[in-house]
Amino acid sequence: MARRNRPGRIVLGIVALIVGLAFLAPLLWVLVTSLSSRGEVYRFPPSFWPDWHWSNYSQAWAAAPWIRYFLNTVFIGACTVALVLGTSVLAGFAFARMRFAGRNVLFVIVLAVMMVPQTVLIIPNYVIASRLHLLDTYLIQILPFGASVFGIFLLRQFFLSIPTEIFDAAQLDGAGPVRMAFQIAGPLARPSLILVGLNTFMGAWNSFVWPYIMTTKDSIRPIEVGLNSFYGVNGTDWTTLSAAVVFTTIPIVVLFLFLQKYFVTGLYSTQGAVR
Amino acid sequence: MRATRRGTLRSPVAYLFVLPALLIFLLFSIGPTVYTFALSFFKWNKLNPALSTYIGLQNYETVFTGQGDPSFWSTVGISLYFVVGMVVVGTAAGLVIALLLQRGSRLLSAVRTMVFLPHVTPLVATSLVWVWIFNPQFGLANLVVHATGHANIDWLGDSDWAMPAVLVYSLWHELGFVSIVFLGGLTTVSGELSEAAKLDGANAWQEFWYVTFPQLRPVLALVLLVESVTSLQAFTQFFVMTGGGPGYATATLGFQLYQQAFVFSNTGYAAALAVVLFLVTAALSILQLRLQGGGFPSFRSLLLRPRQLRKARTT
Repeated sequence: MARRNRPGRIVLGIVALIVGLAFLAPLLWVLVTSLSSRGEVYRFPPSFWPDWHWSNYSQAWAAAPWIRYFLNTVFIGACTVALVLGTSVLAGFAFARMRFAGRNVLFVIVLAVMMVPQTVLIIPNYVIASRLHLLDTYLIQILPFGASVFGIFLLRQFFLSIPTEIFDAAQLDGAGPVRMAFQIAGPLARPSLILVGLNTFMGAWNSFVWPYIMTTKDSIRPIEVGLNSFYGVNGTDWTTLSAAVVFTTIPIVVLFLFLQKYFVTGLYSTQGAVR
Repeated sequence: MRATRRGTLRSPVAYLFVLPALLIFLLFSIGPTVYTFALSFFKWNKLNPALSTYIGLQNYETVFTGQGDPSFWSTVGISLYFVVGMVVVGTAAGLVIALLLQRGSRLLSAVRTMVFLPHVTPLVATSLVWVWIFNPQFGLANLVVHATGHANIDWLGDSDWAMPAVLVYSLWHELGFVSIVFLGGLTTVSGELSEAAKLDGANAWQEFWYVTFPQLRPVLALVLLVESVTSLQAFTQFFVMTGGGPGYATATLGFQLYQQAFVFSNTGYAAALAVVLFLVTAALSILQLRLQGGGFPSFRSLLLRPRQLRKARTT
């Protein structure tokens, strides 16, 4: 039976490989463009082999405050991750392991927040932020994303699955809810925390609309907003633009490739988010 | 503080635990949603909010009589074009890819990563890549057109081609996600039923259509609804690739919200559009929870089974 299927499996493999390469092609194409000289790029039909024009990278790098954009992105991302993990562990623990009046109502409210599209929120939030003088701050890029329905839900599910004996034992040892949440439940939830953290960080890296509208100063803007303004200024020079696309995208792709085993399980958090 | 059964703590500290998250939601999601409703009843003065005037339902009148520029109904038509394209093509192609990659050989796992990779790339960065691919003079897309003997197409500058071009990009970005969800669904499909069908002489198509597909219905419903909601809100690729143009040819509802509020300064009108979008999204989300009978737990049973996924990948 297995032998009879062999030709079929080879065909299947070839078809799959073609599909995979089709998805990869645009990324390879931008790599080629980023390493080509201008004369080679503006030619039809195009050449598929670059002439290793590395100076595109140094030119692109020198043309905009990339280091600033990178640092801003990492700072905003790290603060958001810290906040999300903190709020998720606390709320997830309370919803899973604590009993209080109004618990179910509050949990339904948390879930209902998922239904509000980010696109809708950007208008009122802009009006509110401008009245509170929060425009052009790091705070407006961090705080609104400091709590995640997905994070709370995921941690609640995880804490529900921990054997109760662990908490009973901790309680006998005199541990209070704060110690239980952070010293017992939190560390056990490491895979979930990595998943939530990774998703949050990637969200911060990809975020565009929100910081684009809430900020005007380059000094506090993140990477994708920077890339968009680089396009505005250098939009016709595709060699340096491609180089900028490559060096702004590679860090997040590498991060994904290293941590993808955590990622596949938690795709939902990236859905529906406009940022 | 005292313990109740099953390791549950009874303590007012619980309120302090849920407070930070709830406060953030209240300030940046729940409050602003209510505020959007309020804004939609005003002719909002962006420079001096104090000069804003209450105009009742007038913004909604402008919306539903199609007096806005562009007309709301043309915006709805354009959004439907995009949403239907994403949902129909995305779901069908995603399912085909999932079936193709179902077996977990080393090669097929590598292809899974290749297909999924576009989904993790930033929308701004890869929208730019595709602007270059759709370049009217030197782009890769026109190379294909050229090879079939046709004249070059000005993809993003032609009102007939701009939307198909954005659709191609968005599908490239989204298909990895859809096929991974279907792959997750396929791991829950009973192998025994398939074996039985084969023994009864069913061919591959019959086995798929009568045995596998019916078992995928819950995943299918999930994909259809998640994709509708996501594509209804799509914004960044339109901003980067077409700016809603040429003319208003790609001005979807999501893009119009931005354009009316932040380019044309019609904040009140934009808020009315936002309310409409919110109600449609909420209806779709509630439908999704209904179809799944209780919602979140089945999200979990579909996707949060790392062990099963890992098993599927290695067999």
